[in-house]
Amino acid sequence: MEIFTGDLHQLPDDFTPGQWQKIDAIIAANRDRPGALIPVLEQIQGVSGYLPELIQRRVAKGLDIPLSRVYGVVTFYSFFTMKPRGRHQVRVCLGTACHVRGGRQVELKLEEELGIHPGEVDKDRLFSLEIVRCVGCCGLAPVMVVDEDTYQQVKTARVDQILARYRNKGEGHHG
Amino acid sequence: MAERTASMAALKAIKQQVNACHAKFRLRLMICGSNDCHLTGSGDVKSSLDMALQETGLKDQVQIVETGCIGSCSMGPVMTVFPEEIFYMKLESEDVPELVENHLIKGVPVQRLMYHDPVTGQAVPRRSEIPFFALQHSFVLHNRGLTDPRRIEDYIWRDGYQAMFKSLTALSPSQIIAEVKDSGLRGRGGGGFPTGMKWEFCASTKSDVKYVLCNADEGDPGAFMDRRIMEDDPHAILEGMVIGARAIDAHQGYIYCRAEYPLAIERLTCAIAQAEAHGLLGRNIMGTGFDFSVDIYQGAGAFVCGEETALMNSIEGKRGTPRPRPPFPAVSGLWKKPSILNNVETWSSVPQIILGGADAYASIGTETSKGTKVFAVTGKINHIGLVEVPMGTTLGEIIFDISGGVPNNRKFKAAQLGGPSGGCVPADCLNLPIDYEEIVKAGAIMGSGGLIVMDEDTCMVDMARYFMDFCQDESCGKCTPCRVGTKRMRQILENICKGNGRIEDIELLESLSVAIRDTALCGLGQTAPNPVLSTLRYFIDEYNAHIIDKKCPAGVCADLFESPCRNACPVEMEIPAYIALVRAGRFDDAYRVLKRTNPFPSVCGRVCGHPCQSKCRRGQLDESLAIKNIKRFITDHAAPPNVETLPVTRSEKIAVIGAGPAGMTAALEMKKRGYAVTVFEALPEAGGMLRWGIPEYRLPRDILAREIQDILDTGVALRTGVKIGKDLPFADLEKSYDAIYIGVGAQKSMLLGLANEDADGVMGAVEFLRSHSLGEAVAVGKSVAVIGGGNSAIDAARTALRMGAYSVKILYRRERRDMPAIQVEIKAAEEEGVTIEYLVAPKEILVKDGKVASLELSRMRLGPFDASGRRKPVAIEGGEFVIPVDTLIPAIGQQAEPDLICAPGIGMTKNTITVNPDYSTAHPRVWAGGEVVTGPAMVIDAIAAGQKAAAAMDKALREIKGEAPWKAVQEKIDIPFEVDEDTVEQPQAKMPALAPENRGKNFAEVELGFNPETAVREARRCIRCDAVRGQ
Repeated sequence: MEIFTGDLHQLPDDFTPGQWQKIDAIIAANRDRPGALIPVLEQIQGVSGYLPELIQRRVAKGLDIPLSRVYGVVTFYSFFTMKPRGRHQVRVCLGTACHVRGGRQVELKLEEELGIHPGEVDKDRLFSLEIVRCVGCCGLAPVMVVDEDTYQQVKTARVDQILARYRNKGEGHHG
Repeated sequence: MAERTASMAALKAIKQQVNACHAKFRLRLMICGSNDCHLTGSGDVKSSLDMALQETGLKDQVQIVETGCIGSCSMGPVMTVFPEEIFYMKLESEDVPELVENHLIKGVPVQRLMYHDPVTGQAVPRRSEIPFFALQHSFVLHNRGLTDPRRIEDYIWRDGYQAMFKSLTALSPSQIIAEVKDSGLRGRGGGGFPTGMKWEFCASTKSDVKYVLCNADEGDPGAFMDRRIMEDDPHAILEGMVIGARAIDAHQGYIYCRAEYPLAIERLTCAIAQAEAHGLLGRNIMGTGFDFSVDIYQGAGAFVCGEETALMNSIEGKRGTPRPRPPFPAVSGLWKKPSILNNVETWSSVPQIILGGADAYASIGTETSKGTKVFAVTGKINHIGLVEVPMGTTLGEIIFDISGGVPNNRKFKAAQLGGPSGGCVPADCLNLPIDYEEIVKAGAIMGSGGLIVMDEDTCMVDMARYFMDFCQDESCGKCTPCRVGTKRMRQILENICKGNGRIEDIELLESLSVAIRDTALCGLGQTAPNPVLSTLRYFIDEYNAHIIDKKCPAGVCADLFESPCRNACPVEMEIPAYIALVRAGRFDDAYRVLKRTNPFPSVCGRVCGHPCQSKCRRGQLDESLAIKNIKRFITDHAAPPNVETLPVTRSEKIAVIGAGPAGMTAALEMKKRGYAVTVFEALPEAGGMLRWGIPEYRLPRDILAREIQDILDTGVALRTGVKIGKDLPFADLEKSYDAIYIGVGAQKSMLLGLANEDADGVMGAVEFLRSHSLGEAVAVGKSVAVIGGGNSAIDAARTALRMGAYSVKILYRRERRDMPAIQVEIKAAEEEGVTIEYLVAPKEILVKDGKVASLELSRMRLGPFDASGRRKPVAIEGGEFVIPVDTLIPAIGQQAEPDLICAPGIGMTKNTITVNPDYSTAHPRVWAGGEVVTGPAMVIDAIAAGQKAAAAMDKALREIKGEAPWKAVQEKIDIPFEVDEDTVEQPQAKMPALAPENRGKNFAEVELGFNPETAVREARRCIRCDAVRGQ
């Protein structure tokens, strides 16, 4: 696996022909639908993981709208990202319930453990860290979500153990 | 393909089928399938039950249903067994065999797995008897725990789609609107605009195309009501939208749901498909000729899209920025067509209103706010979950009666209502009724229903910063007041949290708030200052603590302290340092560290209220460190540091009145600064409350004497038996001394305010304890009654028992959880045989021959909340009873003796001396501190007062001569840093104590102290959170 080191915006085109096919199909299916831009971008991000300039150009052309509008929408909504994400998405909830029950400490611990700030990906592209505002699990606060797994009542002393599970998984993938 | 449900008869047929299906089963196990219950393991429980039913052959008699959320989110996984409604909580798959064997087969419900009353400890079997459920009023959530949200048949079984049928066949659009208007329903998304009126505007706008929109972009952090409704009762939303569509003649609807709710989107998608298949949605609904389709539109993570015009822009595929209004959406909304937008809870209220009638709905609630409201109650609360109550219910009822109050014996501080647009209201507002207008008056808003409870560990300045950060983050940037204004406010709040605040920041925050509120384009900006304004209104003291003292009292703003324990200590003892030294076995050094900040460490090691321990970070993992007991260990086992006589280097002379902890500390501090100091004490020995008020079994006299002697050994002069104002006029002190410090404490018990309080056998707790300590001939009778719930009450009761009383009763007017006394002390008293009666208050003292003979008591119940956040006891009419009493000890509080301190020129309010923040009084040469200023408090507070007052006195005296302030020279002690590689859970070490049977009638010290092994082991539990940041 290629280790990413350079500037995020200058990433080489690392999408497979299969991915491009899917992207084009999504664009084609929505070409004449008014207001289709946001669902289109959501679907494409599901395929590509992120929305670099290259994809945005493709969408603008395909839907016949100005690139500025695509860029405007991508940068407006927090769901969209122009940076690649890590193999595992670590999301720490800083909704109010999590905040008053120690979510901030969990977030700081994650920053310390991963060596990155929210919105960044670690140098191995194994983890990316994000802050989310309330995932609606307030009964279990503080909460962190790794990929699809929700961890409840997270204690800072246990954060490293949670991450270790994915570290090992990651190594397994590398073979 | 399901059969098209074309008529009312068809709906009823489905209902009958479901009933018939239920009738086949003897028992129905309703397992909550909500997200929270899933995460705590409801899936495992369900599969274990499934398996057990197979194995035992019960499959045909017992049905398992996975229902929607029933709202008790922190009790999960939960299950209700119908028909008896037996409620089980916190289930694990290991519990299944016992459940099956005992309940399902033998018919004996398993008590162990039930809810237990926190006061009585009794199991409460039925769901309808548990306060959390019993005190709610289910209207919007009327299907909760009863249906499988994936089955449209279950919704129809609960009379679903009948209101829609009625609206499409029996009501005209204007009749629907009239019904909704008459019901008084107001928008549940936050604004509270009358729903019927909104529909009327839209209905009267002429257009070939109109839209019905559902706002499911529930972005307020801490709010999850709409999520649950979408996941658990999706058809109610669809049915409501069809009714709305009929009212305005629309044929297309959109549900705008945030992307963070995938399960909600899945359930809604499923519900739409089912409804269409049954002919309940889409073309020609129920054969009435009315067409209406609903599409789901997934948001992309922008809070501002909860604002109606921004939401419409978003559906149109644009940046979600708001549009200026007018035109209002009812005239020109989505795609410039007339549109109505209501939120999830509003839509799901509509079918019930149509079915039950406007009058029934309007009969619930207050004058201006009708019906019920669903709240997501979270934060520092025992039962986190969804709560639905009639409007008009008080905040306190929701927080304490339904949701079980604040956990871990913490104090309630504030409730946050309405998310980032709302406000924080304090304990004073617990009697506030839930009502749109009343909540606004209190400085918050109803909002969508997020209710976040905060306790003493929440910093209100940090909360304001948090919400401002949120709003700044989510500001769309279109209008300047919001984009720039919130940024500026966040900067100011960040500065304050970091200790860089200036006093003028408060005014700046206020003026910015007003400007943003008045000029921002949309609701997000206009309401963004609310959290700041409400915290400024109610918690200005916390702002001042951050700005002036550079302290965060709650121990949250990390830049303002090294460790939370030290931050919580009034004298900022170097807790992590002496704990580290104990761990390293350097006990003598640890003692020197103790003495650097506190002249009474062995006293505090025994009787301190240890605020440090409640803030200990270790407590987040298992239990806090036993800081107090480690401190005592050091003073028990290490060599006391040498004390040297300190030279007098200054000409000014200082008088200290009162040789209690406040006075002695001030004397020592002045002595260190080079002054000649004389302490005047009325009683024969120094020590104040420590000597005369605290019984010897808690604080042995020799321990106290040693620490007082250390202070005297520095050269402080002590004159005992001199009462100022009686033995020596105050004017003499004024003549002979340059500065006077008053630390006389609060030495007089407060009165009950009843007749016969002067009878023989009635004696205040302080006087009783003092007389006993003085060795005066004080005797107790056979039956002793102590009134009160504080430490003095406990001390008096345990002392009376030791003096030979046959029975000692503590009578307390509130409940146990409200008692201010230290928990350990209450338990020890009970172990020794003291009985405590709760919810009783004295009504009359009955006297025979001038001596107390019996006491008439009233039974009390808890009434409305008082400013302390506790319910105020009120007498129950006719609940009086009489108990025989021959010694009555009121212990309801202490106050200073006014004749002692009313020296000319010293300001007094209500028996306490009024001081400035630097402990100076109205008299230019008099300072005061300790309980004479604050009323009853902790020893460590008195010590802190002595230190701070001394520093201020010294500063003032030096300023007269134009000298620079004194600087302490601190002895250098190297502090090791050692932490365990891995933190293993390990509870707090227990304090060994004399067995209750050995305490008998003596005054031997009850707590025995740690041995070195225990102390070092306990010290190793410190996680050194003070160093994490620095490393």
